[in-house]
Amino acid sequence: MNALETNGLVLRYGAKTALDGLTLALPRGAIHALVGANGAGKSSLFRVLLGFTSATAGSAAILGCASTALTPELRGRIGFVNEEHTLPGWMRIDTLARLQRRQYPHWSEDRYREVVRHFDVLPTQKVAQLSRGERAGVNLAMALAQRPELLILDEPTLGLDVVAKRAFLDALMAAGFDDEATIVYCSHQMEEVERLADNLVILERGRLRLMAAPHEFTARTALWVAEFPFQEPRALEELPGLLQRQRIDGLTHLIVYDQGEETAARLKLLGARTVQHMPVSLDRAVNGMLAAGHVSNSRAA
Amino acid sequence: MSRRSPLMLQIATGDPRPINRQITDGVKRLIAAGELAVGASLPSVRGLALQLSINPNTVAKAYAELTAEGWLEARAGLGVFVAPPRQLLSDHERRRRLDEAVDRFVGAVIGLDYPAEAIVARVAGELAQLAPKKTA
Repeated sequence: MNALETNGLVLRYGAKTALDGLTLALPRGAIHALVGANGAGKSSLFRVLLGFTSATAGSAAILGCASTALTPELRGRIGFVNEEHTLPGWMRIDTLARLQRRQYPHWSEDRYREVVRHFDVLPTQKVAQLSRGERAGVNLAMALAQRPELLILDEPTLGLDVVAKRAFLDALMAAGFDDEATIVYCSHQMEEVERLADNLVILERGRLRLMAAPHEFTARTALWVAEFPFQEPRALEELPGLLQRQRIDGLTHLIVYDQGEETAARLKLLGARTVQHMPVSLDRAVNGMLAAGHVSNSRAA
Repeated sequence: MSRRSPLMLQIATGDPRPINRQITDGVKRLIAAGELAVGASLPSVRGLALQLSINPNTVAKAYAELTAEGWLEARAGLGVFVAPPRQLLSDHERRRRLDEAVDRFVGAVIGLDYPAEAIVARVAGELAQLAPKKTA
């Protein structure tokens, strides 16, 4: 069974389409990283999946249950951390932790302490007195201590210092490995994605752009540098797999996806005098994939 | 309980080589250089993941690959150990891999404008360092 599944999911806010027929299935027991430009639909997807918002069309299911009919029992098996780390400001930390402990039958006090000790937080402090990073720490510690089957994290490490971030990532991996929890994690930090993710999911304007293991995606992406003696040919725009194109010091740099060695012959055919290629890092590959559809690159109609 | 050998390994994110490749390459180098002796016990999957701050599945994948290629052997319930050297690849496959590696290497250095002797000497030096250190 899949941890979460959507089928032709559409969500519109007035004239703006946040999810545009998204079909996605994430298997259980892995760490999935969701990546996308701002407004790609990541947060909207979570809202629909957790039943906070109703979809305009299509269906969504989480742990095998339709998102429109989640029971309290099922919600207890799902942990969710949003990027704002919204917690009741007037509540004391110890009261909040006690409340959570009662609510979640699999609560692990050890794990809560293990994560929260990296933050300078006193049990008697009120949520409203914490900095953004400290609030994130408390929130994440509580989410991990719930030992949920499925943990959804929206930009969890934003605002954490390096020590706290590493402690959190270690705890997250422990949850994934020891508890066999499914983790769905959305981030703009490719370094984290590379360390953490079994599966990379790239969303673009509310649609699934690509899903693959990070190393497979990187292996299929290459940087080609071609020298066109005169002008760049117009037909370059139609080069198969072309993600990104840049002209630097008279050379044409191209990020090309999933074409293998054939790109060399194609570039030669277009008049390139020399052609070279090399592998790229995950960061560069993802950047190329997102840049291809980024709003800043769309030509005026 | 057998004591585990530390794995002095570093990984870099943002490298075109995926992390599991960095691990397999690193372990092979350590074994070839004699820094990991035959029979040495490697860190647990969980332990190395924690050491490098990476996903344990990535470590498991790297260990599995090294085991399949005959560099390591898994002993049930005990962990993974450096395997005695043996040649698993066919002569044909060895030749093919050597050709491929040489091809890649030559392609990478050809434009650097070093005389061929300098490049050959450099490679010989690198290989000499990898030869197992003989103890008298």
